[in-house]
Amino acid sequence: MSQAIAAFIWRWRRVLTTIIVIGAVAFVPSANITKIDNDLTAWFSVKDPIYKDYARFRDEFGGTRTLIIAIEAPTRDRLLSADGLQLVEALTADIEKVNTVQRVSSLATATVIDALPATPGDDGGLDVRRLFKDLGRKTPAEVGARALGDELLRGDLISEDGTTAAIIVFFDEAKIDTVRPQVLAEIEGIVSRRTPTEFKAHLNGSLEITEAYNRVTLDNQRVFTPPIFLVTMLAIYLLFRSWKKTLLTLVAVLISVLWSLGLYSLLGFSYNVLSSMLVPLIVVLAIADDVHILQHFDHERRHGSKEAAFRSTVANLFAPLLGASGTTALGMLSLCTTNIVAVQQFGIGSAIGIMVDFALSIVLVPTMLGWLDEVTAEAPQETWFSAPMRWIGRFSSRNPWRVMAVATVITAIAGFGLTKLHVDTNHINFFAKSHPLSTSAAVIDTKLAGIYNFQVLLEGPPDAIKQPDTLKRMDQLSRELERLPYVRKVSSVVDYVKRVDRELGVGGAAGAARVAQVSDDPSVIAQELFVFGLADEGRVELERVTASDFSKAQISVKLASMSSDLVFEQIRVAERRANEIFAGSLVTPTVTGSGRLFSTLDHYLVVSQISSFATAFVTVFAVIFIIFRSWRFGLLAIIPNLFPVLAVFGVMGWANISLNVATIMLASVALGVVDDDTIHFISRFRRDTAGGMNSQDAIEEATASEGRASLTTALINSTAFAVLAFSEYKPTAWFGALLGLTMAVAFLAEIFILPATIMLLPGLFGADAVHAKRRARVKVGSA
Amino acid sequence: MSRLLIVFLTLFLKAEPGIAIQQEVGTLPAGSPQAQGEWVARHSDQRDTGRDGRVTFKMKLFDRQDRARERALTVLSKKAPSGDKSLTRFTYPADIAGTAFLVWEHPGADAERFLYLPSLARVRRIAGSEAQESFVGSDFTYEDIGGRAFDDYTYTLVNDTADNGASYTLESRARNAGARFPRVISTIRKDTFVVTHADIYGKRGDIQKVFDATRVERVGKYWTVTSMRMQDVGQKTRTELTVEKAEYDVGLTDDAFTRRELEKVIK
Repeated sequence: MSQAIAAFIWRWRRVLTTIIVIGAVAFVPSANITKIDNDLTAWFSVKDPIYKDYARFRDEFGGTRTLIIAIEAPTRDRLLSADGLQLVEALTADIEKVNTVQRVSSLATATVIDALPATPGDDGGLDVRRLFKDLGRKTPAEVGARALGDELLRGDLISEDGTTAAIIVFFDEAKIDTVRPQVLAEIEGIVSRRTPTEFKAHLNGSLEITEAYNRVTLDNQRVFTPPIFLVTMLAIYLLFRSWKKTLLTLVAVLISVLWSLGLYSLLGFSYNVLSSMLVPLIVVLAIADDVHILQHFDHERRHGSKEAAFRSTVANLFAPLLGASGTTALGMLSLCTTNIVAVQQFGIGSAIGIMVDFALSIVLVPTMLGWLDEVTAEAPQETWFSAPMRWIGRFSSRNPWRVMAVATVITAIAGFGLTKLHVDTNHINFFAKSHPLSTSAAVIDTKLAGIYNFQVLLEGPPDAIKQPDTLKRMDQLSRELERLPYVRKVSSVVDYVKRVDRELGVGGAAGAARVAQVSDDPSVIAQELFVFGLADEGRVELERVTASDFSKAQISVKLASMSSDLVFEQIRVAERRANEIFAGSLVTPTVTGSGRLFSTLDHYLVVSQISSFATAFVTVFAVIFIIFRSWRFGLLAIIPNLFPVLAVFGVMGWANISLNVATIMLASVALGVVDDDTIHFISRFRRDTAGGMNSQDAIEEATASEGRASLTTALINSTAFAVLAFSEYKPTAWFGALLGLTMAVAFLAEIFILPATIMLLPGLFGADAVHAKRRARVKVGSA
Repeated sequence: MSRLLIVFLTLFLKAEPGIAIQQEVGTLPAGSPQAQGEWVARHSDQRDTGRDGRVTFKMKLFDRQDRARERALTVLSKKAPSGDKSLTRFTYPADIAGTAFLVWEHPGADAERFLYLPSLARVRRIAGSEAQESFVGSDFTYEDIGGRAFDDYTYTLVNDTADNGASYTLESRARNAGARFPRVISTIRKDTFVVTHADIYGKRGDIQKVFDATRVERVGKYWTVTSMRMQDVGQKTRTELTVEKAEYDVGLTDDAFTRRELEKVIK
């Protein structure tokens, strides 16, 4: 079969190569990644119940994905000066004019409610107005003091110490994602133009974080791709000492990348922070494939013609390369079991890319090697690595117990490290402490109400919300939510009802101390809300917190930035308490908002990655069983594959690197890389033992040839991806460093643990067992 | 310029000077578009609205989900040199029925506003509202209903060919650069000077609100917009205001606009 395929490819190599090259050229425009889409629908299925809850909430109250601008003054007096308040007012006014901005919440738009003193003929009155309306008749310091004295504003729109003011920008979420970079750039321009040097402006919020992700994704592509290619080129040159082969490998890798990205685009998939891993993945696997082909071709060329070398290379490597690529592709395809759109797309895209790379490499690389006329002398990697690898093969096969003892110790240490591994996706901590996102989060989290938020959506029949019973339950829930750790501000319509009640003096007799409370009388509440909504400011505030027919309301909860798992935990507590408090009432609570979306997304990602890794593991080994048509060698493949994954996660545990949306991908990538090496090694071992070699010789041979290829691949890829360790975005840096580590450990597992296991279980995996099996087959055949 | 009072008066464009207006239709002075615009605006602004009036409204407020809330209110109003007065009383829905406002305008000074909440059975004073702010929680502003303070705007006649030549198109620009709605393009009937349509622009320069007079009737001597709609394009809400009953020159005296009357009304 393999011989027939080799003959077919040899015959049609020129046509096939032409098609491959034309295809790659055609895919150049679609592979040019300039637009990154980290939007909600790139991650969430619109059918997801969590997304549906959010969509329902957004339809009623608008989006909660905001931009937060903290204006930090050197002193309280500077912020509460005419200049300081004018700055807040001017920024608010300018930002309100920006396209897609729906609403700006700041001291300049803040509503205050005050009692008016009693006069002859009336019992006092009520003043619902914009805070800054007072600037005409009061000093800025007095206006500032009024804001600081208001518990609805203090800690939210102005810091407790009076040095920092918040400007919170809400957008039309139906439009913002299509123009987000331009809109945010325009606002950043306004802020930098308007803000004097003595004031500092800090930008954050979910939209800014999303945009930072997009910038990082694009920057990583732009900044790291050239050095990765350069380092790869140098590494290949160093190991093969041939510019032609170096260029040939790079051309082959480039063509695989173009095809993969082109097909990814053709499928209509969008690029996001996750799919940016596609290029590194394809490069790693393509180089692994190409090095095997290069090495085999060189070896064969020394003893025969180009055609013989071509046919032998394809015939001998077709099955192991197909097996290696197929298993990796299946592993990636298992990501489709998740319900996250971006992960599904990455799974499908990478699976297709891997298989396309296999198909291209097996045709293109031997064909291009056939064009080279250079003498295929021993390459440095052959000169340098052959003897040491042979020695290692001998050592592993002669000292299996020692090898296994060391492996066991490493496994134990890694296992202990594994217990330290924690799941934690803190998007702010992914950036360096000096990154603007981190510095702004520090200011907003400590001085203002924090950059994260979630909402409790309350739904019932019309007028349900303004019933005393509902408002009292809301009040109870709000007070409980305020006591949750990390929660910095809770607000709802209850705050306004209580405030109006207090300022109208409903709760107490004239002259008595005013008490903010929810009345027991529904008509009092209806009239308080009516009065509050008569003024424009009150009306706008009411629309923000309750539906016009009082069938829905929201409790807004603001919190400091933290691990999404902690947010997720807080949300679960909020949900449980909301359900308990509203049990038996007219109203149904649902916890939603951007905090819920993003924490759920991160939770989904990590959980689904763990489950899909398990699926991948089972699937990959099922395929290995089929490829080798042997359960024993399928079983053998598991050991060196589990070890690197265990070791890398152990190192992460010890190094305090969390299992997060970025590092979790390592498991799948590691599995993809490691199982390739194993398949090549076992294939070679079986081929040689079947040809009459004993176990020890076959191990030496497999280690010297396939182990050498693995070492060459590991060196090239580790060196190249070590470049990623310089990324300002920690997950990328972790990914680069840990990928190198994975490849190193995988290589060591292949050359030490695999041979040791074979030697320790000769009855299962040894040459005699292979011979016995072969003899049994021959017997059955002749009978 | 008075606010609340004008709300209910200028909407009901009068017919008494209609003869004069009819006579002046043909006398649109030659001149710059600005001079012509000012002429049209002044005629619209100076229409006689009667001495007093008693009008019953039905107000329907539609939110962005198109859910409607209904309110019913009765407005008594009276013009006087010492300041216009009005008393607005809500009669529907039940939980706010009896809630009433009393407004005393004072030329050149802030108006006095009083609120009566039946659940409290007390009169409360409330702080005043700006012309471009919501009228009793609806999509109309006081200015939309009461008319724009003439001197707060500059005017340009855009054309006199709207509605097949039956209306003027007038552009009004706020003198105050910080105005919430700095520009309005209105369609004004040549025969009655009724504003039948207006595009109201926001700070960004795009249309924020759209006004339509959906029915204009002659009530007694006065042309009255008896049905109108204001859409807030940005917020995707709208308010429909329908006149159920309108009476003019009914002989209301200052006694109808006292604080005692504010409470007495619902007792």
